[in-house]
Amino acid sequence: MGTNTKALKIRIRSVDSTMHTTRAMGLVASSKMRRANERMHNGKQYAEAFGSVVQVLTAAPECARSPYMQPSEGARTCLIVIAGDRGMAGGYNANVFRLTDSMQYDAVIPIGKRACDRYHGKFYSSEDFSGADATAMAHEICQKYLAGEFDRLGIVSTRYVSMLTQEAYVTWVLPLERSERTGSTGVVFEPDEETILNAVVPDYVAGVLMRCIRESFASEVAARRMAMDSAGKNAQAMIDDLQLQYNRARQGAITQEITEIVAGSGA
Amino acid sequence: MNTFQLNISSPDGRIFTGEVSRITVRGAMGDLAVLAGHIPLITSVKAGNCVLQLEDGSVRRGHTGGGMLTVGKGEVTFLTSSLEWYN
Repeated sequence: MGTNTKALKIRIRSVDSTMHTTRAMGLVASSKMRRANERMHNGKQYAEAFGSVVQVLTAAPECARSPYMQPSEGARTCLIVIAGDRGMAGGYNANVFRLTDSMQYDAVIPIGKRACDRYHGKFYSSEDFSGADATAMAHEICQKYLAGEFDRLGIVSTRYVSMLTQEAYVTWVLPLERSERTGSTGVVFEPDEETILNAVVPDYVAGVLMRCIRESFASEVAARRMAMDSAGKNAQAMIDDLQLQYNRARQGAITQEITEIVAGSGA
Repeated sequence: MNTFQLNISSPDGRIFTGEVSRITVRGAMGDLAVLAGHIPLITSVKAGNCVLQLEDGSVRRGHTGGGMLTVGKGEVTFLTSSLEWYN
């Protein structure tokens, strides 16, 4: 009996300490949630405001000549892959990588430690990525795009649907699509639509990039909270089960001892 | 002095929102100032100084990393990659 109950006791203790870890990680994720949501909201606002002006610009026929609006023929694709810095977030990183691997691409710019490890790129943190980093990266990418190093730019990131649901998806950024938007009559463009468009595209790309990163981070935190929540529940169920086994083993041992004593005294 | 609503945003969030009587930035064709009642305008902004004259007459100066200025009806939006205030 001795070894059996001892082994069970050790297992119970080990599962219990795992449960403490998951609870702590879950709490950390919850406390990061509010800030992550706020930053996601800020990033979204900027990207949407920029997007609506870029739509006005691309609707103008003058902009059709812009190098950013030439349809991609060769279709050499560059992907920015945004994953987390850490694991333990359920399928968060795996979903992003699965989507990336299901696509044709020629170059990858990874963001987040997990993505950088997988695609061997320069390390960028997905949590501390700043607006200045985004601007610098977007300018570099646009230069490469203009130099003809690739014809298509996509961002693989995670959409934050709700606390419970997040999904990996691709945003195609370049080339810009012509929008059908009208109603920009009476607006003065200085100096002209095409020049403005060419000048602001890098900042627009930075805005979209930033939005995707912020949204991905909020998704990561939410995914981690969910994962830790269910891990905690599983650990509790496991402890209950082991405790039951332990009690049975202990009771069985006591019964056996009593039987032995009674049998011994009777003899 | 007449004022208008100004919003300045960067990828990190909203930098400024409120009533101002004038904003001066470096546009694609040179420095330009926008006052209340300006016609709708879209222009790119170069890196340089950004000066706001607030409702109470005080002046706020900063350095912007460039971006885009949109003048709409009664509202001006300045989307910039970065903006550092001097004061």
